Amino acid sequence: MRVFFITFRSVTFAQRGERLLSRNGHRCTLQRTPKWMETQGCGYCLRLKTEDVAPAVALLRENEVPMRKVYAQRPDGNLEEMAV
Amino acid sequence: MIYLDNGATSFRKPPQVYRAVEEAMRACANPGRGGYPAAMRASETVYACREAAGRLLDCNPEQVVLTTSCTHGLNIAIRSLVKPGAKVTVSGFEHNAVTRPLHALDADIRVAGRRLFDWEDTLECFERELRRGVDAAAFTHVSNVFGYILPVERMAALCRERGVPFIIDAAQSAGTLPVSLRELGADFIAMPGHKGLLGPQGTGLLLCRGDARPLFFGGTGSDSVNQEMPDYLPDRLEAGTLNVPGYAGLTEGLRYLNKTGVESIFRREHRQLERCADGLKKLGMRVFAGEHQAGTVSFLPGMDCEEAAEVLARQGIAVRAGLHCAPLAHESAGTLESGTVRVSFGHDAADSQTDAFLRAAAKLPRY
Repeated sequence: MRVFFITFRSVTFAQRGERLLSRNGHRCTLQRTPKWMETQGCGYCLRLKTEDVAPAVALLRENEVPMRKVYAQRPDGNLEEMAV
Repeated sequence: MIYLDNGATSFRKPPQVYRAVEEAMRACANPGRGGYPAAMRASETVYACREAAGRLLDCNPEQVVLTTSCTHGLNIAIRSLVKPGAKVTVSGFEHNAVTRPLHALDADIRVAGRRLFDWEDTLECFERELRRGVDAAAFTHVSNVFGYILPVERMAALCRERGVPFIIDAAQSAGTLPVSLRELGADFIAMPGHKGLLGPQGTGLLLCRGDARPLFFGGTGSDSVNQEMPDYLPDRLEAGTLNVPGYAGLTEGLRYLNKTGVESIFRREHRQLERCADGLKKLGMRVFAGEHQAGTVSFLPGMDCEEAAEVLARQGIAVRAGLHCAPLAHESAGTLESGTVRVSFGHDAADSQTDAFLRAAAKLPRY
């Protein structure tokens, strides 16, 4: 299992994303975005532990929940931005 | 007290509203500002309000902007759509919450439709003003003085056909009549939280479809590096700390309405409206009643209206007299000089309330 972070511009978008993902069986946790991920100041993100984040990202996109960025945990434990 | 002033505020809320306010005061910190449990609880409380509102009012949670009152929402809406000096058509039954912000912008206000309870007149006059060319329209769903339900669905359709941006003032209809942002297609719909939605005072909702201009500027907990307000809702219109206990209470009011159904509340209020209007007519008073009327009725008591309300208050009856902050509506009905006494029913309307009021009204001195 890998850890992914999906960041959002506002807590409201993050909350809408959390509801949507949870309802569709994607377990996630709403939390503050780590400062280094958020160049615009403050924000919230969803932390997911899964093999593949693509279905969750697709679901958010289909339902027009605006995402900012997606980060994935590398095998060495560090996080890197993913192209979405 | 027999409370019949629900047009001003709903006085008796469902018990869970009071409980939620206290719980939020004890458990919630600042929403959207921190990641510790009390801050996250506050964020959850606020989002629950947007969700419950979205369900009742048929829109997405982020289209629900939390305001301090309907007036606050109307000011945002009007400042977003109306440029200084713009031509704006309004109904003949608007509250000062619509007309004063327009006046402050020196708008060219064109009043359309003055006849009470007459949809044909309202629609004909409204369409005529749209044909003459206006920059925007703003109209109430229900007159706060007379309970007249305007044909907003058809007025909205006329605006959409002509590409005229429009605002609906749902101060007296939210919680009593179906209101759908999606179906009406309004740019903005404003409403208070403390009337038909059964929340605490100091709360309101602005439903947004159109481009919105902030009225206040400041911290939102988002995009903090940027000195412009965020360009997305609801953050764009929500600078500063929100009234979390208020919205916690409002959420419970909204949930109550989602469960009970606004149609059943309307039927309950309307039954009392008819009982009240019939009773007043039997007492020989002039009553403003007709088709397309919500649970509010105005009457002329045959004496000074403020004195009549005072006499009723001494008998434990709470009604509102005067101009009800709506001189335009009174001008349309020909009651600008006299004012009226207004009886407005709420979700707890009952025969016993109406009958107690009518017994007290029968004792009013006439001169």
